[in-house]
Amino acid sequence: MAELVQGQPTQPQNQIDEAKRQKLLELVRGRALARPTDLADDEVMVWPSLVVVEAVCAAVFLLILTFLSIFVNAPLLARANPNQTPNPSKAPWYFLNMQELLLHMDPGLAGVIVPSVTLVLLAAIPYVDRSPLGVGILGTSAKGRKIIGFTTVFTIVVIVALIVLDEVRGRGTVFGIGSYLADKGAPRELTEIVLPTLVMLGGIATLMILVHVIFKPTRREMIIALFTGFYVGYWILTIFGTSFRGVGQDLTWPWDLPLTHH
Amino acid sequence: MRREQTLADRITSSSVWRSVVRHGYPDNQRNQALIIASNVFLHIHPVKIKRYATKVTYTFCLGGLSFFMFLVLVLTGVLLMFYYIPSSDQAYQSMKDIEASVTFGQLMRNMHRWSAQGMVIAVFLHMGRVFYTGSYKPPREFNWVIGVLLLVVTFLLSFTGYLLPWDQLAYWAITVGTQIGGAAPIVGPKVDFLLKGGKEIGQPTLIRFYTLHVIFLPLIAAFLMAVHFWRIRKDGGISGPL
Repeated sequence: MAELVQGQPTQPQNQIDEAKRQKLLELVRGRALARPTDLADDEVMVWPSLVVVEAVCAAVFLLILTFLSIFVNAPLLARANPNQTPNPSKAPWYFLNMQELLLHMDPGLAGVIVPSVTLVLLAAIPYVDRSPLGVGILGTSAKGRKIIGFTTVFTIVVIVALIVLDEVRGRGTVFGIGSYLADKGAPRELTEIVLPTLVMLGGIATLMILVHVIFKPTRREMIIALFTGFYVGYWILTIFGTSFRGVGQDLTWPWDLPLTHH
Repeated sequence: MRREQTLADRITSSSVWRSVVRHGYPDNQRNQALIIASNVFLHIHPVKIKRYATKVTYTFCLGGLSFFMFLVLVLTGVLLMFYYIPSSDQAYQSMKDIEASVTFGQLMRNMHRWSAQGMVIAVFLHMGRVFYTGSYKPPREFNWVIGVLLLVVTFLLSFTGYLLPWDQLAYWAITVGTQIGGAAPIVGPKVDFLLKGGKEIGQPTLIRFYTLHVIFLPLIAAFLMAVHFWRIRKDGGISGPL
């Protein structure tokens, strides 16, 4: 400490501490005080070891950004016209996952309840999984990484299947079951809220059961499965919304899309 | 034997220089510690850290890059503010002017736009990295929650900026976006009205989004980032193998 404060105004308090320290040094064998510059074997100085990494990352990014910005212009379409609705109209790309959900269920459920519940569950993760297991290791363990792979494939297959099935059977009809029940006089809440909720919960439950049976996971590993389902699902739905929804929000190949979104 | 004093030596030993920089050249551990501890911007760092925390393949710089993109966005955003007019009559024309007449205007706009998209991606990937390395576990629970809030603020920052060009892309994306928010059970119509400042997207919407975008949300983001970064240190630095 004395080394570090050298050259800075010394406060009278420090002199007292200094005197105390001298006494202490007589009693304690070996090095009594750790100095800020004492490095353990697994430690490095932030300057330069970390600062260099940060500076290089920032410089590389700035270089890429500058070149991108020189060669690719941000889009600017015609002036806003409330009387001319583009087809399709799309939200910003990171909300297109919600817009994709919107095609299949009640708007309040897709646009507000599902995202809100997801955010609350995300925030709750550290209060559910408190074990120090796997900190600092990507995917926790070999088993954890297998669960990530399994869940990724499961999520892609299930979401693509659900979207295509719903599209084929009549979009927003919960694969035709909803419209069948509606014909029988079932209320809108049942067909547009309860049924889609059951489908979503069913998908999550199926994932949990499969992971449980196949992997016998710890709590951390089960949460890995759930988070991966959310994470992959977010990207899959986003990709559907950005690249596979054309005129009238019909399923379209990306190269047939009328409008690019940025 | 002393070497001859160079001009650089004279400058760095002058009283003016010493009044600004209190430490010597950081080629020894003492000065390397001082440079971090005595600089207001660097002192968010500790003086020394675990070796694994400097590995790029552990963090992929994603958190740092998110912050750096935020800084780029603040800088380019302030420059754009000199020219952009938040009026539904003039906004579009001012965008055209920025692109056509302002020196480096198109470049500033492009950098702002691409950084904004990049920040959404980086923040989301950062969340993935933190999750998969188990870095949310105690004592870092609260910082994970702050991170989730920062994700939401990042979305909102990008979303409010989306309307400002006042072109067809902006107008209809926000129309769809506010419809999603307006679909909330019970409070939906109120939320929709609150966002738009009316029944349709118009001048009241533009000024709301503008104010949220250029001052309100950036302040919230800066506040949360301050807590987020400070907490990393207080919770024992970035996570690593136990």
